[in-house]
Amino acid sequence: MPNLQSPHWPLLIDIYFFLVGLAGGAFMAAGVADIFGSRKDRVVTKVGTYLALLAMLPGPLFLIIDLGMPSRFLHMLMVPKAATTIGMSAINIGPFHIKPYSPMNMGAWALLGFGVCAFIVALTLYLEDKGGTINLAPVRGAFGAIGVALAFFVAAYPGQLLSATAQPFWRNARPLGALFLAIGASTGMATIALILSLRGPEVSGSLAKVRRAYTIAVVLQALALIAVFMAVARGPFWSASRAGLLTSGSYSLAFWVGAVGIGLLAPLILEVRDGFFQGYRQGRGMVAVASLLILVGGFLTKYVMFAVGQG
Amino acid sequence: MARTLAMFTDTSVCIGCRACEVACKQWNQLPAETPVWTGGYQAQSHFTDKTWRHVKFIEKKDERNEPKWLLMSDVCKHCNNAGCLEACPTGAIYRTPFGTVDISQDICNGCRYCVSACPFGVVAFNHGTGRVNKCSFCVDRTSEGMQTACAKTCPTKSIEFGYRDELAAKAKKRLAALRAQGVKEANLYGEDENGPLGGLNAFFLLMDKPEVYGLPVEPRLPQKPIFKDAGLSAGTAILVGLGAIVAFRQRGGGDNGGEE
Repeated sequence: MPNLQSPHWPLLIDIYFFLVGLAGGAFMAAGVADIFGSRKDRVVTKVGTYLALLAMLPGPLFLIIDLGMPSRFLHMLMVPKAATTIGMSAINIGPFHIKPYSPMNMGAWALLGFGVCAFIVALTLYLEDKGGTINLAPVRGAFGAIGVALAFFVAAYPGQLLSATAQPFWRNARPLGALFLAIGASTGMATIALILSLRGPEVSGSLAKVRRAYTIAVVLQALALIAVFMAVARGPFWSASRAGLLTSGSYSLAFWVGAVGIGLLAPLILEVRDGFFQGYRQGRGMVAVASLLILVGGFLTKYVMFAVGQG
Repeated sequence: MARTLAMFTDTSVCIGCRACEVACKQWNQLPAETPVWTGGYQAQSHFTDKTWRHVKFIEKKDERNEPKWLLMSDVCKHCNNAGCLEACPTGAIYRTPFGTVDISQDICNGCRYCVSACPFGVVAFNHGTGRVNKCSFCVDRTSEGMQTACAKTCPTKSIEFGYRDELAAKAKKRLAALRAQGVKEANLYGEDENGPLGGLNAFFLLMDKPEVYGLPVEPRLPQKPIFKDAGLSAGTAILVGLGAIVAFRQRGGGDNGGEE
């Protein structure tokens, strides 16, 4: 194996990756419910938007704390008097720089844009509920549409950030972005379901829709996980062998029990049992348990994918 | 852009004196470090934030089963397509007018993404300053027309400094001479500008396979497949979104409360 150095990112970054994915997934569901749902599904839009805003808010703070020079956090986006030869893909606009080859730079921009969109959409919902007479739907539609695109971006970029490194496992795990996106969608919507499960029967219809949506996301999460392993297996031995830490090494318990058992199999079994194919006619069933399992499993999946590359 | 500068490290004449390490530390004002036990004469297992030239002592057995040394003064490769430079979200890592790669300490904010992106494990985090460090190609010397400190001090001319095109020609000549003497294992690493990473501006003549020296056999730019990956992510996003749309548009069964 070539000599490499680990970035030694702490648990804080794991938590950020999890929360920003969850925020993205929740905002996406909110947007879909707003456009395609019935009037009753407004509760999904509200819960999803507020949840997205709350979940993304600590993100920038976590990222800044982790920096070696926290006071320079703005350098992620702008540097006064910067060099111009900062990469083959770099675009310099005044003091700002955009680097499509640097997922960390792109992620910082996307996080900023996502935060603004989530805030504005949340504000329109709040003002409408306060009983304002102005029609805010067009504003929400515009920022919601941009916000949903950015929501997908912030959910996926941490995975792409990891696979655009030289670290073993990560470097060959090219579908990590897809996996992180699917986890973001499943955990974000599972949290919405968890919150709705605390409400009365008036939200049952919306709850069933959210369950159906997150179950599809969990299936995609399983497919993406398989794709990650297939991609890693094609890499050189020193990189591919790290997968052994997941299947039979120090992370095998967290992987098999956490990522696969708790994160994929158990919730899928519960959803089918509660009537995924029958439109959840029997009522709520085990929705709270299923969504908690998805949250724990989603976190552990991201955690082991993160840990196994960092060594 | 000025003519590209380079360093050519010919490991076949390295005697492992570590003068390059000392010269590097003196010029760049890097403190000494406590040696770690590596099982041999090597002072550190790899580059650190304070060791930018690093002499590797690799013990091997030759064809008569006698122990032999492979010595190599390793350094930042100043890749033409540099993973650290592309990864850096702040623009602290930049390409100098001489074609080498340097880190601006005034801009680096210590995110450590470059550390993970270097295929050679060169860039290292400095816990004292909260920033990352690596060989600067003695940017403060080269910009004044001087050669790098390590090349200047090397007593056996194992490290040579000069224009890239001239050094590459020299390296090829040296390789041909060694091959003519029957040293079959000798090979050039990073000299080819059409090779991996667009060629390295610090390239090497090795006396064994690259992996023996802890070098990647086929280093690659980590960011290269990024847009393909983004396609995968976008595809998944579309599927997730479609799934949600189908779920929210469904009529009948799922909507216990019924549409209004």
